[in-house]
Amino acid sequence: MSFDAPIKAIGEKDLVAPKSTFKSITEAVSRVTENPAPKGWWIAFLTAFSFTGVLLGSIGYLFWRGVGVWGNNSPVGWAWDITNFVWWVGIGHAGTLISAVLFLFRQKWRTSINRFAEAMTIFAVICALIFPGIHVGRVWHAYYMFPIPNQMGAWPNFKSPLLWDVFAVGTYFTVSSLFWFVGLIPDLATLRDRAKNSLRRMVYGFFSLGWRGSNRHWQNYERAYMILAALSTPLVLSVHSVVSFDFATSVEPGWHTTIFPPYFVAGAVFSGFAMVMTLLLVARSVFKLTDLVTITHVELMNKIMLATGSLVGYAYAMEFFVAWYSGNEYERYVFINRATGPYAWAYWIMITCNVISPQLFWSKRLRTNIPLSFVVSIFINIGMWFERFVIIVTSLHRDFIPSSWGYFHPTLVDITTYLGSLGVFFTLFLLFLRWVPMIAIAELKSILPEADPHFGDHHEEAHEGDSHGEPSLATSAEGH
Amino acid sequence: MTHRKPYEFEGPAPNAAVYWTSLDDFTLQQSADPSARASLAEEFPREALDFSDGVSRRGFMTLMGASVALGTLEGCRRPVDKILPYTRMPEDIAVNVTSYYATIIDRRGESLGLLVESHEGRPTKVEGNPDHGSSRGKTDLLGQATVLDLYDPDRARQPSMHGEDKRYSDFDAALRTVLQSQAANGGSGLRVLAQPSNSPTFVRLRRAVLRRFPHVRFHTWSSASTSNAREGARLAFGQVLLPVIAFERARVILSLDSDFLQTETGAVRNTRGFALGRRPGSEMNRLYVVEPSYSTTGASADHRLRLAAREVELYLQALAGQLVRAHHIDLGEIAGAVRNAQAPQGVPAKWIEAVANDLATHHGGTAIVVGSRQPPPVHALAHAINQALGNAGQTIQYVAPADRDEIDHGTDIGSLAEAMGAGQVQALVILGGNPVYDSPGDLAFGEKLGHVPNSFLLSSHRDETAERATWHIPRAHELEAWGDGQAMDGTIAIQQPLIQPLFQGRSDIEILAMLADEPSVHGHDLVQATHRDAGMPAVVFNRAWRRALNRGVYRDAPSGGTVSSIQGSDVAQRIGQRQAGTPIGQNNLEVNFLVDNKMFDGRHANNAWLQELPDPITKITWDNAAYVSPATAQALAISNGDMLRLSKGARSIEIVAWILPGQADWSIGLTIGWGRSKAGRLGTRKGFDVNPLRTAAALWFTDGVTLTKTAATYALSQTQDHFRMEGRPMAVEATLAEFEETPNFAARRSPTPRTLPLWREVDYSTGYRWGMTIDLATCTGCNTCVVACQSENNIPVVGKEQVARGREMHWLRIDRYFVSPKAHGNDRDPEATNDPMVAYQPLACVHCEEAPCENVCPVNATVHSPEGLNEMAYNRCIGTRYCANNCPYKVRRFNYLNWHNDGVYQPDDADVPETVRMQMNPNVTVRFRGVMEKCTYCVQRIQGRKIEARRSDNGHGRHIRDGELMTACQQACPADAIVFGDFNDPASRISQMRRNDRRYALLGEIGTQPRTLYLAKIRNPNPEMLG
Repeated sequence: MSFDAPIKAIGEKDLVAPKSTFKSITEAVSRVTENPAPKGWWIAFLTAFSFTGVLLGSIGYLFWRGVGVWGNNSPVGWAWDITNFVWWVGIGHAGTLISAVLFLFRQKWRTSINRFAEAMTIFAVICALIFPGIHVGRVWHAYYMFPIPNQMGAWPNFKSPLLWDVFAVGTYFTVSSLFWFVGLIPDLATLRDRAKNSLRRMVYGFFSLGWRGSNRHWQNYERAYMILAALSTPLVLSVHSVVSFDFATSVEPGWHTTIFPPYFVAGAVFSGFAMVMTLLLVARSVFKLTDLVTITHVELMNKIMLATGSLVGYAYAMEFFVAWYSGNEYERYVFINRATGPYAWAYWIMITCNVISPQLFWSKRLRTNIPLSFVVSIFINIGMWFERFVIIVTSLHRDFIPSSWGYFHPTLVDITTYLGSLGVFFTLFLLFLRWVPMIAIAELKSILPEADPHFGDHHEEAHEGDSHGEPSLATSAEGH
Repeated sequence: MTHRKPYEFEGPAPNAAVYWTSLDDFTLQQSADPSARASLAEEFPREALDFSDGVSRRGFMTLMGASVALGTLEGCRRPVDKILPYTRMPEDIAVNVTSYYATIIDRRGESLGLLVESHEGRPTKVEGNPDHGSSRGKTDLLGQATVLDLYDPDRARQPSMHGEDKRYSDFDAALRTVLQSQAANGGSGLRVLAQPSNSPTFVRLRRAVLRRFPHVRFHTWSSASTSNAREGARLAFGQVLLPVIAFERARVILSLDSDFLQTETGAVRNTRGFALGRRPGSEMNRLYVVEPSYSTTGASADHRLRLAAREVELYLQALAGQLVRAHHIDLGEIAGAVRNAQAPQGVPAKWIEAVANDLATHHGGTAIVVGSRQPPPVHALAHAINQALGNAGQTIQYVAPADRDEIDHGTDIGSLAEAMGAGQVQALVILGGNPVYDSPGDLAFGEKLGHVPNSFLLSSHRDETAERATWHIPRAHELEAWGDGQAMDGTIAIQQPLIQPLFQGRSDIEILAMLADEPSVHGHDLVQATHRDAGMPAVVFNRAWRRALNRGVYRDAPSGGTVSSIQGSDVAQRIGQRQAGTPIGQNNLEVNFLVDNKMFDGRHANNAWLQELPDPITKITWDNAAYVSPATAQALAISNGDMLRLSKGARSIEIVAWILPGQADWSIGLTIGWGRSKAGRLGTRKGFDVNPLRTAAALWFTDGVTLTKTAATYALSQTQDHFRMEGRPMAVEATLAEFEETPNFAARRSPTPRTLPLWREVDYSTGYRWGMTIDLATCTGCNTCVVACQSENNIPVVGKEQVARGREMHWLRIDRYFVSPKAHGNDRDPEATNDPMVAYQPLACVHCEEAPCENVCPVNATVHSPEGLNEMAYNRCIGTRYCANNCPYKVRRFNYLNWHNDGVYQPDDADVPETVRMQMNPNVTVRFRGVMEKCTYCVQRIQGRKIEARRSDNGHGRHIRDGELMTACQQACPADAIVFGDFNDPASRISQMRRNDRRYALLGEIGTQPRTLYLAKIRNPNPEMLG
């Protein structure tokens, strides 16, 4: 890792506040895990934890009585369950995208947010994985989905997209977790070295896998990180493409469409960035990390949301066009029904939140406005939930044969299960904030001037007035 | 981008029919106002956060707390039940071998011949008896459901006195004491109230009682009485002769307020004949229906005239007048009375002229059928016209019923009530029935019953009447008791019990035998005594008896029937007495009391299958409603779900309104048999009781009724009728003329394009290749197949709330579409919504060869068999519901809850009641919650017949022969609209059907290659009527 100074001539800005040093960064990030938790953290944690309890209760009731405690019916066999699943998987997209794809493209600005985003990915995927697990009618046989050798010779159906889902999301979860953990090792070692009691030292020592910051460690580490980034990158595209196959390979009008894989990936990136934004803006102000997560980061992320939001809007429009152009009357009806039928309210919530609200970011003033960014990110989170609801429920509720058309009403348990999954997510996230460095310390240091091997060299043709000091060990992991 | 030409359905021609499913749908669809069309979207303007199941916070927290504790501890496997083998094998029972016994059940005066399937001594499934003329192997809806009535867990289990449990010996002693006290005065204080019977033994024992007590009076009452038909015959012929119509020979049928395909006597026989004559072609019959409310028969009509019930008589008189004037038919003395009769107001002239013309040109090949709701003179006039048209002996035979002494039921029970009120009745024996509930409201029967010092009630349940009677004893179900019965055509058969009475019930004839002091009071001996002719040697009789039990017929129908001449002057005189009366209108509403096709007179109220069965016309489950025509509803500002108060004089009822297209204006249709206040846990307070509005004098319809809309509303649960048809080719139909011009019109409307397969297609050309066809031309929508399927396949019932949620479990459903022939191009024509036609489409799993459900199941739980069945492996299913989502036909049903445990029998029974379990078919898995299920083509029957075929021919084995194997729906269908078989056999019936010009694959364009094909509906309108 080496320092590339921002080229100010083309408008690049510092990615961290100009006064930041190795020491200040280590301090800023590590103290969050070392100081006693602020009162706000405890309030948030206990709230989130009680919602986790609500989820466990809802799932317990669901297992006891059956899927009928939800509002699912015939024809709407999937409703909030799969909506939540796809929503969470989509949120889980930003992490890997920010970490792996931006890493490979050498987007240095990612270093302030990648840890955060990766953690969010893992927790979102955990929340996502709850739903396919619990939505099945006979949960005690859910393991039939896995290709376990058995005396009956009964295998899963490899033609089923739902099975592809199991593998796609499973792989994604595994690789994302590894990627996150590998990235954490140097920072965990920093925490270990700063630890003031033996328990902390032992726990962080265990997870830092004997990291000493030697050149050899760094070489292996960077190579591993690169390989994992390369592995993760196709997964960013594959996982949501496969999730979209659940719908695209069916015969249902409204589902059976070839635009779904790219459309789902764009939507997933869109929703993932929105969720990162929501969380980051809160953490940034609560933990006073404004030096590390600057307005530039916010602006860059808003640009991505504008781009992906417009892609999603294009996909919505294209679906209508294809429905008309295909001449398929069932397809055509589904889309007319989405916009004007009994679920029009859901459709228009989706359009407002996903297509209209990010358009505000064409204005530089608006996209650098922190409160507005927060509000829009919440809108997008809502809009993307409704997108999945619209795709799943409005397609199912009126398909081919009008005599079997119906309507879906959620029950209380539908709602508590969804809120409970948010509880799990925030519980895990708050624990992450408290116990793990929420910003990648080592990586962030690499974009400081100090990281430049020539930092402190006294050359006449010095960089545009940057401060010059003594050269230092750019790869030092010890706290200064 | 594809260059493939999009599929184009041959869209509706400019004047073609418009399909719609509900009235709101139609009016909005046709509306020129865009905002009205837009409001279609708000048909269910409910928000997402809408709790329709009303979980209370406290209840939810309780359950959630408990479930956290329990759910985490124990898995969710069902509890283990141990089964034990016989240690000593009982005689005559072969475990796992199905046996069938022939018997009969009474169906509104028809005795329906049955073969009942029995497993280890438990009757489980009812089929028709092919040797019995009434059924010819077919059954009706209530026949299919009767087996569940047998196992009703709420049946009375022992005698009781004033509600207190007693023993039979107590009852016997009490009855004997009363009889002894009556013996002194010849039984003058003793009355017997029975239901109408067609049993020779009943008639014999009644005579025997009269010999013992000369002054005893017998009364007959049925809420669904057919007295009008009897009285009409008495008027026309001077004796009771009931018409048996050979519909298969009738080319033109005019039904006057007669639901002969569903609720009238002999529906199975009628439907079978009607379907035989319904073959599209030059000999296809034509059905005209004149009725106030839409019936199953009306739904099969080629032309239907909605007419208030009391106008039907005037219509027939006008028609008779036209036949006399224009076609010179010979009505003898009646001609004068009808010659100048005017058609009721609003009846189009062609309904007189064209119908008369059609009837007259098919001399000897027509039938005029009059419903039992119509008064006797209508029947008498129809008899006269039928004779004059040469139908007697051709399409109609007249047969005398077993009991010729029955008088008009309204008069009969009226005189009993009067005597009870006057204190003349010291003892009343009620044999079956529930008069406190179903007698006309003006009699105050219940109150008067309280004045009778000794009343003895024999009935299946401790019902409304049992509350008022002194003694109640359980009545044996027809499948538990010996008896006999005479069918409409005169066939006599023995009612053979399948099982010992579950609750020691007794039959009507056993109680009569006690009254008559017969030497034996056992049903078996009583029936034998009736049929053993004097002097017949025991050996001869025993052989005849055994053969009768084996075959299900004791004496075949006499051929030819009775011929009798019309007593013209009497009929003419009665016709002349008809008063015109105040015209009905907004200030003089008519109410009609209709026999309910599910509840009948109320006796089936506790039958879960029937409660959950969607009504053939309205698709309402678990309730009845007051049917109001769209125009009347508009005038009175009524909308669906409004509670109405209907009153006449001091009596009134409250009932929910349902706007029914095709209902006569200013005439309100009410179905009897609902709103029981004490029917058992399922039937109590389901629907609305309309009997209080009936009177003994006007049992079936009356005018001068006041309607007030109350502020309340009431939610009904329907299985269909959500939204509109969207002009899609579902139930495809054409007229006979169009069919003759373009025989393959259906395949053109619903094309099956050829697409290249994605993978190597399976070769089904060897072995069996199962397929089904459903003929929409003959399907009457009677629902028999739905209940047959439910009873064969252990399909659970989910209850009203779950139906509202869309979780009904019927594997086979019947989709009903309204068709407005005149709507297109004339949006404002009110006749379009008022006079729609109906198209039915039974739909179960169509067993696609390229099944969308199979590809998406992640665990291979639904797969194809080598014979092409789309099979469900319940044990493998984990319940992702992906298959149901991907099923274009939406025929897959998911066990959202454990319907057997959490079902309708709660909270009284945490589990399926013991007796209901006895009904279960042991060859079909009972599905647990979380499992997907759907039609299997009755795979258990296929496998059973295959095993039999393999063992036959001295163990050499052979193929199943065509006709040996029937699915439950096919076997039950009285119209024989369903054909199933192996179409690798080119000679089989299924192969012939699959070559029929009218065949089409529903949604064939998706490429599913369904094994079930439909034969398109053909209507046969009279060109003269269309002009």
